Amino acid sequence: MSSFAIGLASFPVLLGLLALRLPIGVAMLLVGGAGYVVMSGWLPLIATLKTGPYFQFSSYSLSVIPFFLLMGQFAAKAGMSSALFRAANVWLGHRPGGIAMAAIGGCAGFGAICGSSLATAATMGQVALPEMRRFNYSGALATGALAAGGTLGILIPPSVILVIYAILTEQNIAAMFLAAFVPGFLAAFGYMAAIWVFVRLAPQAGPAGDKAAWPERWTSVLETWPVATIFLLVIGGIYLGWFTPTEGAAVGACSTGLLAVLHGGMRLSGLVDCLKETAKATAMIFLILLGAEFYNAFLALTRMPMEAAAAIGASGWPPVLVLSAILLLYLVLGCVMDSLSMILLTVPIFFPIIIGLDFGLSPDETAIWFGILALIVVEVGLITPPVGMNVFIINGLARDVPMLETFKGVLPFLVSDGLRVVLLIAFPGITLWLVRVLS
Amino acid sequence: MSETAKGGAPDPLGRALARLCGALAVLGGLVLVALIVMTCLSIAGRALFSAPIPGDFELVEIGCAVAVFAFLPYCQMTGGNVVVDFFTARAPARAQAAMDLAGNLIFTAIAGLLTWRAVLGGQDLQRYGETTMVLAVPIWWGFVPAVFCSAVLTVVCAYTAWRSATEVLGGQPGERKAEVP
Repeated sequence: MSSFAIGLASFPVLLGLLALRLPIGVAMLLVGGAGYVVMSGWLPLIATLKTGPYFQFSSYSLSVIPFFLLMGQFAAKAGMSSALFRAANVWLGHRPGGIAMAAIGGCAGFGAICGSSLATAATMGQVALPEMRRFNYSGALATGALAAGGTLGILIPPSVILVIYAILTEQNIAAMFLAAFVPGFLAAFGYMAAIWVFVRLAPQAGPAGDKAAWPERWTSVLETWPVATIFLLVIGGIYLGWFTPTEGAAVGACSTGLLAVLHGGMRLSGLVDCLKETAKATAMIFLILLGAEFYNAFLALTRMPMEAAAAIGASGWPPVLVLSAILLLYLVLGCVMDSLSMILLTVPIFFPIIIGLDFGLSPDETAIWFGILALIVVEVGLITPPVGMNVFIINGLARDVPMLETFKGVLPFLVSDGLRVVLLIAFPGITLWLVRVLS
Repeated sequence: MSETAKGGAPDPLGRALARLCGALAVLGGLVLVALIVMTCLSIAGRALFSAPIPGDFELVEIGCAVAVFAFLPYCQMTGGNVVVDFFTARAPARAQAAMDLAGNLIFTAIAGLLTWRAVLGGQDLQRYGETTMVLAVPIWWGFVPAVFCSAVLTVVCAYTAWRSATEVLGGQPGERKAEVP
């Protein structure tokens, strides 16, 4: 067996082990370690294991991940979700479907201090669902909008997955965050447009709510100032070079934690909850990171990713076709895998391929553009059947709505996602505009 | 996609391990909180008095490693390591338990291997007297909590394997929570 074949064969083996319920990090460690032994024997692996895992975890650049996770946990306890929802609702709620649009707006605002889709969906769901129920919104529209809105949490910076992508591909985290802006806004507007179409077709699904007076509109916007301040401080500070991404995440976590104590009424038991949830998420991610490190070290030994990238580059296939095929694969994988594991598993293989293709962009721009596209497509997996985690979470909050209704309600948002991805592929400038203008 | 859901531990060993893992998770979390506060103070010191906390990067590196190692047992104990259960969701509970048993045994072996190698790695670093650049903290210090937590992780993995084994043998379907709503 050539080393290329070994590298190639490892992928189906890995996927097979995953399908047999082996935890993703453990499976990558196992296949990576075994492949390492096949390629270069037992001793190098044993030697690497002495200090390799410790130094993998003892990394300044990776420490940004637990900090942002902690920030997201604090954000969920900061009590800002109702203020954010209200600020959007006073402007939109009196239109048909407006409360669902406000839920999208609230999700976008919450995404500015929280880098997790699930937390965004769950937190905004608790606030927006009762309001939509009060105005007799259909279960499909109400739960669909919140499940889709949750994906804004990860698209609008700070975003844990973007951070991991940036670290994996050695890209500038600040540039990645900037690039996510316009697509994030497009996503929010696209979702609102989907709701607009939805209530045109089924007016009884989203009746108009109360109309708010002008003074109330402005004061409720002002009440979201802590979120705006933290967001500008963290993202602006990282971008302007006041501090490193890790320091920015620390500032964000500290200020969000203070907000949770002062505004959200977080006490000791709440803090312990936050710490334990952060512990769980961090351990899960770092175990996968460790597994990915070993798996990638093995793949690099086989030279499979480089040779595959060279072969595809020389094949003369249209770059957009290759890109579309990869994104389609993400879409399929996203139906059964979680987004973070998918990025960690596939980026080392797909990234060299993409970078080797000519899209008329500089390598850095290609990397940023692909990262945003991949992020959007893997997040779609959170709201597609059979395993859409956002859908499960929102459906769990709205017990009376059948799961099928929620998946139906998600459909218009999937159409909106599809259109947006096509738009972003056709015009890379949309994603790269802000990066180009500000650098 | 779901977490490997496990109910509360019914046996004394499980309860003791759950308490230990929870305590380690909170301790590690407090280390994180200390790191973010320290980092903010360092930024403030740098901005206001051009005097950052010396070696702040090193402290973050050491603390992050210690925290992550402290988090690993809790994640395994609470079934936080995600698995793809789409293809096996309809399999009988005992078949699922058998697959989880295999997974937990593999993880036990890996965790044991990591612990063993980390002991030797720490000893190497101690022997060579390697320290961090600014604060001259001996690097092996970080290995002490890391090795302890790896050892706890190994025990927890073995315990979860034993739990899966009893499920396979005894087949108590009532203990498994529904994985997909």
